[in-house]
Amino acid sequence: MASHRVGEPAALSDSGAPHHHHHHHHIPYAVPHMLHHPTNSNFINQEGPAFDFGELEEAIILQGVKINNDDKKQHLYTAIRPAATLDMFPSWPMRFHQHTTRGSSKSGEESTDSGSAVNTLSNAPESPSDHRQPPPPPQMDAAGGIDSPRMSGSQSQPPAAKPAPEKTLRRLAQNREAARKSRLRKKAYVQQLESSRIRLAQLEQDLQRARSQGLFLGGGGAASGSISSGGAIFDMEYSRWLDDDHRHISELRTALQAHLSDSDLRVIVDGYIAHYDEVFSLKGAAAKSDVFHLITGMWTTPAERCFLWMGGFRPSDLIKMLIPQLDPLTEQQFMGICSLQHSSQQAEEALSQGLDQLQQSLVDTIANGSVNDSMHHMAVALGKLANLEGFVRQADNLRQQTLHQLHRLLTIRQAARCFLVIGEYYGRLRALSSLWASRPRESMIAEDNSCQTTSDLQMVQASQNQFSNF
Amino acid sequence: MQYQQSESRMYYSESLERVVRLASGSAVVIFSVSTCCMCHAVKRLFCGMGVNPTVYELDQDPRGHEIEMALSHLLGGDSAVPVVFIGGKLVGAMDRVMASHIGGTLVPLLKEAGALWL
Repeated sequence: MASHRVGEPAALSDSGAPHHHHHHHHIPYAVPHMLHHPTNSNFINQEGPAFDFGELEEAIILQGVKINNDDKKQHLYTAIRPAATLDMFPSWPMRFHQHTTRGSSKSGEESTDSGSAVNTLSNAPESPSDHRQPPPPPQMDAAGGIDSPRMSGSQSQPPAAKPAPEKTLRRLAQNREAARKSRLRKKAYVQQLESSRIRLAQLEQDLQRARSQGLFLGGGGAASGSISSGGAIFDMEYSRWLDDDHRHISELRTALQAHLSDSDLRVIVDGYIAHYDEVFSLKGAAAKSDVFHLITGMWTTPAERCFLWMGGFRPSDLIKMLIPQLDPLTEQQFMGICSLQHSSQQAEEALSQGLDQLQQSLVDTIANGSVNDSMHHMAVALGKLANLEGFVRQADNLRQQTLHQLHRLLTIRQAARCFLVIGEYYGRLRALSSLWASRPRESMIAEDNSCQTTSDLQMVQASQNQFSNF
Repeated sequence: MQYQQSESRMYYSESLERVVRLASGSAVVIFSVSTCCMCHAVKRLFCGMGVNPTVYELDQDPRGHEIEMALSHLLGGDSAVPVVFIGGKLVGAMDRVMASHIGGTLVPLLKEAGALWL
């Protein structure tokens, strides 16, 4: 019965209720009391959720101070934490302590029994209780009878201990209390994060389901914002993919540093390939619902968007970047990769020319639309626009094939390093966008940009990955 | 009903035969539609590699539509064109052609068919 943890007030009240009712039946709300316990932990017992203990907070717990059973003097104040401990309220200042010690403190002490002295922080009656809830007064009245004799008896000062160590002890107790509060805060925050994450996953699932049922019509002007439903869905999925990417990159990095065996590395590398396959599949679906969103690069960061080719990265540029970083390569590998770069360039050129012709044809159609058959021309133009999806799909196909071919050409360790380089490269490119956005300028920079910068910068730190445990 | 179905089946197999016949006629054969931009892309790809493909524009062929239908069935996809044959053998639509090129198998195929010289 003695060890009641403050953090579980509900349990406390339940378990404590009968105990209290015994002695405080007239007091409907929880009464904090110090439990005398050889393990010298001071706990708060509370009951009656109606009472707002927050008001009565006085965060002084003196550890190891034994309360003399017969000593009715309460010099110990306990902070009361209701279930809403997660509300962060500051401790009452020290001066309050003196107030209360002056005997205005409500000491609803239990008469004997456990022999523990009960401190009702309702001593707060003065200042805080003004704007507090009703409870305090009745408590005072109720225990008034019990109180008075002792009130006279116990005069303000913390009786037993000497002033000097007393202050230190108080401070220590306050520190502990603050630490405990901060731990509880952190716990609450983490719990909120967890539940938000679950909710987000559920939301995504719902959206996915709705989309597959065709509830969302992709294309212009769907959602209220400037982004279509198809685009919004893809952005969400892509953002989750980016988180996964970050995780994969960390895994690759640690695997390489740990010098894992080839078979272990193979698993991780295969996982990374599958991870990229997934984004291409996502983009394929997005191309069906909102090809403009993809091709204009609204799903990417500005720096990436600047170098966008047909809705994504240009494979030959990527290979050009990779070649010097993949050293050492065998002659055969080097030839293979150069050949890959060359083929990719040819394919990119062909697709670009095809897209140019599409654009030209579209321009011709719209330009020649006369008043008479404008609807017909618009219909033709719409038909031509539909071909955009095909080009984005082919471009993504090219990107996917390029990555697979790289995987085939390289040894497993080389492939691991290659994908690590790719992941870090795009991570840096994204970070660059954030840095650029939050660079010092005349106008005000939005705060959220810097937050983004921080997280991107942390991604950039290759050596110590502080998020590896996420 | 049945008569129509068997008729279209007849046309289908006839068209396929024609496709096969045409495809065997040249080293590189592309079935295309003149207004199709993806067809334009695949033609540019081969020309860029120094290959001179034989192109059949189905919209300019009297029986082109049937060939389109037959090809569409053959590929199982929505778009019939472009379709590429090399050395009389089916390579596929644009995605297969590009995958083959990136994978390094297209050039050997072309050389084997005599469409490319070193």
